[in-house]
Amino acid sequence: MMLKRDKKEEEDGGNPFNNLEKSSVLQEARIFNETPINPRRCGHILTKILYLINQGETIGATEATEAFFAMTKLFQSKDTTLRRLVYLGIKEMSKIANDVIIVTSSLMKDMTGKEDQFRGPSIRALCSITDHMMLQSIERYMKQAIVDKVSAVSSAALVSSLHLSHVSQEVTKRWVNEAQEAVNSDNMMVQYHALGLLYHIRKKDKLAVNKLVSKFSKHSLRSPYAYCLLIRIASKLIEEEDAGSESPMFDFIENCLRHKNEMVIYEAAHAIVNMKNTTAKDLAPAVSVLQLFCGSPKPTLRFAAVRTLNKVAMKHPAAVTACNLDLESLITDVNRSIATLAITTLLKTGNESSVDRLMKQISSFMSEISDEFKIVVVHAIRSLCAKFPRKHNVLMTFLSSMLRDEGGFDYKRAIVDCIITVIEENPEAKEAGLAHLCEFIEDCEHTVLATRILHLLGREGPRTPSPSKYIRFIYNRVILENAAVRAAAVSAIAKFGAHCDELLPSCVVLLERCQLDTDDEVRDRATFYVSILKQQQKSLNSAYILNGLQVSVVGLERAVHNYTLEPSETPFDLKSVPLATQTMTEQKTVTSRDTGDMGMTKTVDKPVASRVDVYAEQLSAVPELANLGPLFRSSQPVELTESETEYVVQCIKHTFSHYLVFQFDCTNTLNDQLLENVSVHMDGSDGFEVMKYINCSNLPYDKPGTTYTLVRLPEEPTSVTGTFTCTLKFIVKDCDPNTGEPDDEGYEDEYVLEDVEVNVADHVQKVIKANFGASWEEVGPENELEDTYALSSMSTLEEAVKNIIQYLGMQPCERSDKVPEGKSSHTLYLAGVFRGGHDALVRAKLALTDDSGVTMQLTVRSTDPNVSEVLATAIA
Amino acid sequence: MGLFDMLARWLGVKKKEANVLVVGLDNSGKTTILNQLKPDDTKAHDIVPTVGFNVEKFATKSLSFTAFDMSGQGRYRNLWEHYYRECHGVIFVVDSSDKLRMVVAKDELDQLLQHPDVKNRRIPILFFANKMDMREAVSSVKCSSLMELELIRDKPWHICASNAMTGEGLHEGVEWLTDQIKDLVDKKK
Ligand SMILES: Nc1nc2c(ncn2[C@@H]2O[C@H](COP(=O)(O)OP(=O)(O)OP(=O)(O)O)[C@@H](O)[C@H]2O)c(=O)[nH]1
Ligand SMILES: [Mg+2]
Repeated sequence: MMLKRDKKEEEDGGNPFNNLEKSSVLQEARIFNETPINPRRCGHILTKILYLINQGETIGATEATEAFFAMTKLFQSKDTTLRRLVYLGIKEMSKIANDVIIVTSSLMKDMTGKEDQFRGPSIRALCSITDHMMLQSIERYMKQAIVDKVSAVSSAALVSSLHLSHVSQEVTKRWVNEAQEAVNSDNMMVQYHALGLLYHIRKKDKLAVNKLVSKFSKHSLRSPYAYCLLIRIASKLIEEEDAGSESPMFDFIENCLRHKNEMVIYEAAHAIVNMKNTTAKDLAPAVSVLQLFCGSPKPTLRFAAVRTLNKVAMKHPAAVTACNLDLESLITDVNRSIATLAITTLLKTGNESSVDRLMKQISSFMSEISDEFKIVVVHAIRSLCAKFPRKHNVLMTFLSSMLRDEGGFDYKRAIVDCIITVIEENPEAKEAGLAHLCEFIEDCEHTVLATRILHLLGREGPRTPSPSKYIRFIYNRVILENAAVRAAAVSAIAKFGAHCDELLPSCVVLLERCQLDTDDEVRDRATFYVSILKQQQKSLNSAYILNGLQVSVVGLERAVHNYTLEPSETPFDLKSVPLATQTMTEQKTVTSRDTGDMGMTKTVDKPVASRVDVYAEQLSAVPELANLGPLFRSSQPVELTESETEYVVQCIKHTFSHYLVFQFDCTNTLNDQLLENVSVHMDGSDGFEVMKYINCSNLPYDKPGTTYTLVRLPEEPTSVTGTFTCTLKFIVKDCDPNTGEPDDEGYEDEYVLEDVEVNVADHVQKVIKANFGASWEEVGPENELEDTYALSSMSTLEEAVKNIIQYLGMQPCERSDKVPEGKSSHTLYLAGVFRGGHDALVRAKLALTDDSGVTMQLTVRSTDPNVSEVLATAIA
Repeated sequence: MGLFDMLARWLGVKKKEANVLVVGLDNSGKTTILNQLKPDDTKAHDIVPTVGFNVEKFATKSLSFTAFDMSGQGRYRNLWEHYYRECHGVIFVVDSSDKLRMVVAKDELDQLLQHPDVKNRRIPILFFANKMDMREAVSSVKCSSLMELELIRDKPWHICASNAMTGEGLHEGVEWLTDQIKDLVDKKK
């Protein structure tokens, strides 16, 4: 009997909600309106609605509102299960239905009522529908709930307060006394949540956070969760202050290693090994804790320990080696996740001789572990290749066999990424790597990966000793694949034709065949490349095939759109289009999942694909700045004040063809002041002329505002750098810190800021030239300038490379920013575009001298003689 | 639960249930009235303006009522209509000491009577001319003429002067409503 049922469940997937249909479920929800209420049926339907919403089904506002109001009628039922489902329903629908505020009183009644089971959930639901206006009216009840003696109620109120602080930080701040009281609770969760709220309220005030930690680190909390949170707060402080083990916070964390609760011990060890400034001595106790955990009978502890060791293995190999024996014994752990982590940790820290043995071990159960852990293995191999370049053969073979195995997209992508990095870092591995990738695309279901590999083949293949052997693989794609891949293949073939003279005729033949393709894009590309290749001019090949166009797509769209709005006789100027921001591929999003909850999550700036496009949009919205022409470049923000001063100001420099716009983002941190007519006055440099100040009309407490200063660049094309003194000018009106109500009368005041520098780099955009040699020929020697310099303040080649790049603000090409180890000379290739759209290339030959300085022979080529001069003299 | 109720339940005689909607302008005393009608152990101590609505239960000898106590503030009045369809009766509370806003109350009443979910149904409407204890309070007769209740022809209605603080007048009204609704329910059968 039992068996039969199991089988049946398996057949229909075991999920009774599998084939729900939104409209029919919402139809069913009408029975909520019927009296008397049937709790069982209503509960079932409500569950379906919740399921649908959680599956990402979108419900329109009208439908949602109808269902919501029907649901409100369920408040007349006393059935606990149903009512708790209603609370969940309110939370889920609070953002999609209208007039959800209708349930406010009902929830307030429940949160203060006799039924404890209703109180916590109703608080959570209430907070999800509360807006700024309503917050005042529930304040009294929230304060009471925070200190309620029922722990579930108190916890719910604390966590909800945390969420409500997004609605109004000001109001929740006033609940600090209640939170203070709740911290003393005997209940573990309440204490934890209360500490979380306290921290959240004070988060911005570093001094207060410091006090918080030192107070609670002495006063010995009961709750291990609270302890863990305190450890996280402490280690964040240490990180922000860039401190190390001398910090008193560190003592606290280290003490936690001797706590009686394992979770706390682990948290402390985890915090210590992840710190930036630690010595071997600081680490030792934490590592020995992890080592102990490796031998624990509890799989969770073993897992946590080995996962942590795995993560820090590259940073602290010595510390991790101390655990080698323990890790070895985990290789055969019945839990495959633990075994994988153990082996990959050993791979990262082990010596060259153990690589073969460990790789063999891991192959024995590769098929048993999930993709997620396979990716861990791939990453380990990646770091191994960097460490033992000579092992690339074994590792590459392993990678290629992994490529052939079953696996999802993320896994395959990790492998491809890994092979590509290895190829780029180790020239000796290049041919083998390319061969594996060629084989892979013969049978690759992921368009994204196929196109990436084709792109790579087009870039690297032509420069290998025998380029012809790749053509077959690439052309096969043209015959067998979908349009996107075919188009990528066409581009790759064209690159071979452009770079290798002996392959040109056959490449042209192949491309001509592609002109008969069924897809527009493929045909267009083929036609375009054929006609360029037939010109047989190196400079055309470089500009249109090997290095290509590098404009920002969004920018191009806008520029073309504007052009069509105002038709004119002059042809469209491609130089007016902002360039693609370099960082698109460079930046990687860091997700900080393990920094955790309770407001501890770090805010990591996500890369904005086209920063300049965003700024261009913002600036053109300011009438005074709308007609400056296309925005060429925007700098990274520079702080002009110390942190924690009265006013915080940062500056972003926007470069236009003839103007600079200085954008000052200001924050007023004084809650008893309102600033009006805020501007930044700039003084300084010859030739630069301040044209206009665009005031920020008012700057209330803690609400950032922006003011701009417009400066015209000097007439003289070679004078491009300068220093400006800056003063913040404004009118102050004192105001009531609680209400923000300002006085009628104000007075003028000013505040001195740090100087702003304008450098060469502010006039240059980075641009990648995939084939630097071709571009060098393309620009030609016409405006070439060359000079030799002694860089006496630099003592290593790396240092020189770093400084030159930073100073000129140009893009290193051909991976020439990486100086091979042990070399005494090196050549750096830089590419960029100078303000006004002039191509600029730099070749810097560097050599170490006997008296441990660096000499540099700098050669600059540009399409404009002035630009050559600016760049050639920039370093002197 | 009283002994009789327990016995009644045990014997399977359950009281009939009815839903009523309690509306009227803000501050007219709706919540206070319901609080007065509730059994002693569930009475609330302090009453604050209602935001949205509340569900309250109370019983007379033969009916147990589920009352939707709506908020009378302007912002929420247009939400009353979501609750019209299922109700068996309406209690409309008027602050008889607030002559100034009597026209507003009348206006809301007219809209209620014109609503498609109410218009063609013979649902009983009970009016409380509340706050009769106040000095400025008008009599229930005056109140009903100010509200032009005599124009309601197609629905049974009744008006009582009441004092929600003491409970005076409430039971008379609720008894009337009970009879009306029982009639209606019995007729249906
Ligand atoms: N003197 C007197 N005061 C009353 C009477 N009924 C209610 N009140 C008072 O009138 C005020 C408003 O009463 P509520 O019951 O909150 O009014 P409501 O109609 O529910 O108001 P909303 O919820 O805002 O729609 C309260 O201060 C009551 O104490 C009454 O009969 N006589
Ligand atoms: Mg009320």
